[in-house]
Amino acid sequence: MSIAKIRFEHVRKEFLVRGKDGGPAQSFTALDDITLDVRAGEFLALVGPSGCGKSTLLDLLGGLTTPSSGRILLDGKAIEGPARDRGIVFQQYALFPWRTAAQNIEFGLDIAGLKARERRERALHYLDLVGLSGFADRYPHELSGGMKQRVAIARSLAYDPEVLLMDEPFAALDAQTRETLQGELLRIWRSTGKTILFITHGIDEAVVLGQRVAVMTSRPGRIKQIVDIPAELHSETEDVRSLPEFGHARHEVWSLLRDEVLKAQGAEVPASERERVAKAKELVHV
Amino acid sequence: MSNLEILTLLELAEGSPKDRAALRGGAITAATGGIVRWFGIIGQRSLLLLVFLAVWETAPRLGMIDVTFLPPFSEVIAAGWQLAQSGELYDDVGASLLRALSGFLIAIVLFVPLGVLTGWYARLGNLLNQTIEIARNTAPLALLPVFILLLGIGELSKVTMVVYSCAWPLLLNTIAAVRQVDPLLIKSARTMGATPSQLFRKVILPASLPTIFVGIRLASASAMLVLVASEMVGAKSGLGYLIINSQYSFLIPQMYFGILGITVIGLAFNAILEALERRLTRWKAPAV
Repeated sequence: MSIAKIRFEHVRKEFLVRGKDGGPAQSFTALDDITLDVRAGEFLALVGPSGCGKSTLLDLLGGLTTPSSGRILLDGKAIEGPARDRGIVFQQYALFPWRTAAQNIEFGLDIAGLKARERRERALHYLDLVGLSGFADRYPHELSGGMKQRVAIARSLAYDPEVLLMDEPFAALDAQTRETLQGELLRIWRSTGKTILFITHGIDEAVVLGQRVAVMTSRPGRIKQIVDIPAELHSETEDVRSLPEFGHARHEVWSLLRDEVLKAQGAEVPASERERVAKAKELVHV
Repeated sequence: MSNLEILTLLELAEGSPKDRAALRGGAITAATGGIVRWFGIIGQRSLLLLVFLAVWETAPRLGMIDVTFLPPFSEVIAAGWQLAQSGELYDDVGASLLRALSGFLIAIVLFVPLGVLTGWYARLGNLLNQTIEIARNTAPLALLPVFILLLGIGELSKVTMVVYSCAWPLLLNTIAAVRQVDPLLIKSARTMGATPSQLFRKVILPASLPTIFVGIRLASASAMLVLVASEMVGAKSGLGYLIINSQYSFLIPQMYFGILGITVIGLAFNAILEALERRLTRWKAPAV
């Protein structure tokens, strides 16, 4: 299988969390036996109930943490830490407030050591690509949520990664902006040919965007099933949401997800434990 | 009075940024609207100050207060004019400024980097935390005799006092600033392949700057406070010396002028820092 751009092989991730009431540390399995191939140039959407470890998966892929067992391959090579061959877009934009839109886009290029003039040129090019030419000198606080996310996408594209990892990037936006940006993202994907792994909790979003939709189980997260989305649903001209195929695909994903959501609710993690896990994750990240 | 209160007072004296913006906007309309309104705006902003000065001028003259202990404002200014002509004023202001500025700058150079390191390396933080707590709760003025004993009565003990008093607001605010940097920004920079040194220069420092500036402004207030006190105890020059020496020599107008001098220096310090802060943190959303 040489066509797999990204390959997860039996990836397992455990966190060590403080025991209850100062008891011994316990291990907490976030991901268990994840095996998944993402093809080169593919748009793969990943859905799962909340707390199923979607974001952990992305951190692993980003090289911010390492799997407890198993391995993740990018072009057949195991991932060793963060690098600019993967760009990450976060839900909360993560723009640097002291940099203008253009300067934010330049960040990765700056890190890469590009000359100022070239950085600027590329930044303006990508600003244009995300439809924000004319906003180069605005600071993030002067931009709307949708515009911020456009800048964040442009920033990730600017250093030309092979893979774009997106962690619920449109979740914080209003419905209209979200739909517009979904269309834009598809357009950008077609014009750049990037491999995109798109994490979401929205079934509609997954079906509209993904060529395939991978459904995850509740915690510990596994890949439950991968649903192929018919190509008609990626028409650029039609209102795909009104096609019968959309309803079918949506229903299939929804049925797969429903059981998991119910299970996840049944085993709702108590707030205190959640906090400990969040702490444990933070420790790993920093 | 805590440092924070002093800062607030300074701000009160100078007017908050919003007031000044309003004044600027007001001044433009006033230029076309006539000089009367212009006076009105000045009056409105400085009304309390004008009333205060008027009371200061008239109360002693009308015999409501003993002229010996509170000479009228104009006499204080006249005494200041004499001090300026004799050159004594320049020596004192110069001495105070030199001590305050050198101590303040030395403290920034030493303690901002130390604070950044302490905030960044949790272990160093754990190591220093207790020392910082003990030292900052030991009032600097209580240590004045110790500094004089160890470092003599010259410049060294005074500058050291200033450095010591600036150290704690600088350290604590810088540590907090670094620790408060949004982990998501760090994460984002790391995914773009930032090396630790790039992360530091391009993320941690700019993100910490606003909170570091809070420390710098607190430190400047603290520097003046401690300096004046230490000049009062043992010095042959400086505004603190001018005040206490004038009191001993019963040159009461001169004493009041020394106090005014300290106020003016404090305001100037704060205005300069504020302008610098605005320049460096232009990217921030205006706090309304």
